[in-house]
Amino acid sequence: MNRERFIRERRQDWGRFEQLLGVLQNLPERQWRSLQVAELARLYRSICYDLSLVQSREWGSRLEEYLNDLVAGGHNCLYRTRPASVALALEFIAIGFPRLLRQRWRAFALSAALFVIPFVVATIIGIVRPDLAVLVAGEQELQESLKSFSSELYTATDERYTGERSFMFGFYVNNNTGIAFQAFSLGALAGVGTCYVLLSNGISIGLVQGAVLAKGGATAVNFTSFVITHGSLELTAIVISGAAGFVLAQSLLLPGERTRLESLRYHGRESLLLALGSGVMLVGAAVLEGYFSPLPIAPLFKYLAGAVAWLLVGLWLGLAGRERPVIVDSAGGVQS
Amino acid sequence: MPFGGMRLGMTESVARRLVDTRVVIETPEGVDFRFRIAGPGQRLWAWCIDSLIKAGSLAILWLFLLSVGAFGGEAGVQVMAGLATIGVFLCNWFYGSLFEGLMNGQTPGKRAAGLRVLRTNGTPVDLVTAIGRNFLRVADALPIGYTVGLISMLLTPRLQRLGDLFFDTMVVTEQRNPTGRKEGLTSRVLPLLRAECPRKFSVPERTLAIIERLFDPERVMSDGRREEIAKPLSEALRQRLGWSEAWQAQGNQYDFFQNQGYKHTQFLLRVLKTFAVDDRLGPGSQQSGDSR
Repeated sequence: MNRERFIRERRQDWGRFEQLLGVLQNLPERQWRSLQVAELARLYRSICYDLSLVQSREWGSRLEEYLNDLVAGGHNCLYRTRPASVALALEFIAIGFPRLLRQRWRAFALSAALFVIPFVVATIIGIVRPDLAVLVAGEQELQESLKSFSSELYTATDERYTGERSFMFGFYVNNNTGIAFQAFSLGALAGVGTCYVLLSNGISIGLVQGAVLAKGGATAVNFTSFVITHGSLELTAIVISGAAGFVLAQSLLLPGERTRLESLRYHGRESLLLALGSGVMLVGAAVLEGYFSPLPIAPLFKYLAGAVAWLLVGLWLGLAGRERPVIVDSAGGVQS
Repeated sequence: MPFGGMRLGMTESVARRLVDTRVVIETPEGVDFRFRIAGPGQRLWAWCIDSLIKAGSLAILWLFLLSVGAFGGEAGVQVMAGLATIGVFLCNWFYGSLFEGLMNGQTPGKRAAGLRVLRTNGTPVDLVTAIGRNFLRVADALPIGYTVGLISMLLTPRLQRLGDLFFDTMVVTEQRNPTGRKEGLTSRVLPLLRAECPRKFSVPERTLAIIERLFDPERVMSDGRREEIAKPLSEALRQRLGWSEAWQAQGNQYDFFQNQGYKHTQFLLRVLKTFAVDDRLGPGSQQSGDSR
């Protein structure tokens, strides 16, 4: 077969393939009809053959380039990974995420140590030396937050507060989740950035908390009852995002038996899933912090809610999605 | 040296690599096809467009929400400011990944620049992968102006920044040169005449393909070097066709002396113009090709 005849005979199919590809690429996979897919697959296989023919006979780079593009488009269309769905995401949050976290408990422990120890130490220092808090927070901001906690929170039910809550909700989502994602991403630089984010946040939150607690009396009660509920999700999530960052760092520094590149790919996805889970937790925390924590109810209720929240978070992360022991029944079937 | 180890330890099962910026991928059908990796310049261009779009849409969002909120008094403004802050958050962290995940690897900027994100085995990126590679921008952008990302790109054969390395993706370019065999390349030379060639008047398709490859704009070389490469082939073809140079140039003498230094290149172009059939392939070429 010579080149001209080849082009003349095959051109029809190429045109049809291009047209079909154009249609399917712009449709979601749900709307693909089986006949279309069958035709696409058939044409794709024949065009693969055409391409290898042109490659082996060296019939011109332009023809090869054209067929190459067709094959690339078809490959892109036919070979895909399972698309993400809402059901999968929910299942992940309920089961996959706690499971993953327990698998990565070492990174979690490291991250917790780097956050909680400076946090506790800084709180004690803050109680002893409240004046040091200005080092991490501005003088004016500090005075404002002290003042806001010294009086009852949102005692008035006027409309100003409904607006302020939504504003603060947006602020918490942006700020806290941003910090968590940063802690994760900076893990790619061998974990140095993650350490920095964890330490600096632990120290500054601790110092300010210490300064507020040092005031004692109503201020301390208001403050503690304010932070106790959402703190369960928020602090845990920050630690988890740090853990995600350390998983990234581990894949770079300690590839184990994999090559380094394989190690990056292997750990990359799992660490991202951890970070995304902590992002979801932080959005939940922002809802609580914006709309529940400042409610004008007795501190006792808030302490109760806080205890329940910590318990639930602990149960969820500690127990959800455990493997059940596999029972083999007499018929040989497997039940779980 | 983490990167040194990375290169040595690379196992390439599906995708093979050439010495230039092309990547060869073998499909399950057993055929190879190629992608061209996009360079930092092209990606910077796409990034600029995306940044403009982000900044513009955020400005519009803020203006719109605040002006709507102004009807609700101070509370309304604050609610809307909260919403807008969430908009900023989504834009910062999910702009690239949502577009790449849902539009088959292209943000508006990448589409305008003719780029696409693919996994290194040539399949499309999924949403989770896209989110991951975009999150790591934070690390790539350090300390200023994507320095880390640029260094990583220089050290990896597929020009991957950290986000690409961790999530196994690459950015390829889909730009094609629209010039055909006859348009563009050979427009400024005259075809050979039958009378000029006393011997055979045909050139094998294979040889034409080689000539074409010599003028492939992807292969950057100086005109002098191209002339040097063209010489043996040109001499063999002159032999085959029985073509010899006329003593006196037709027309302008200035042209004659200017072209003399590149006479073999010129000759090969004339051969290409005379014997190559223009395929006119590509989108929308169907009708014009058939009516020929």
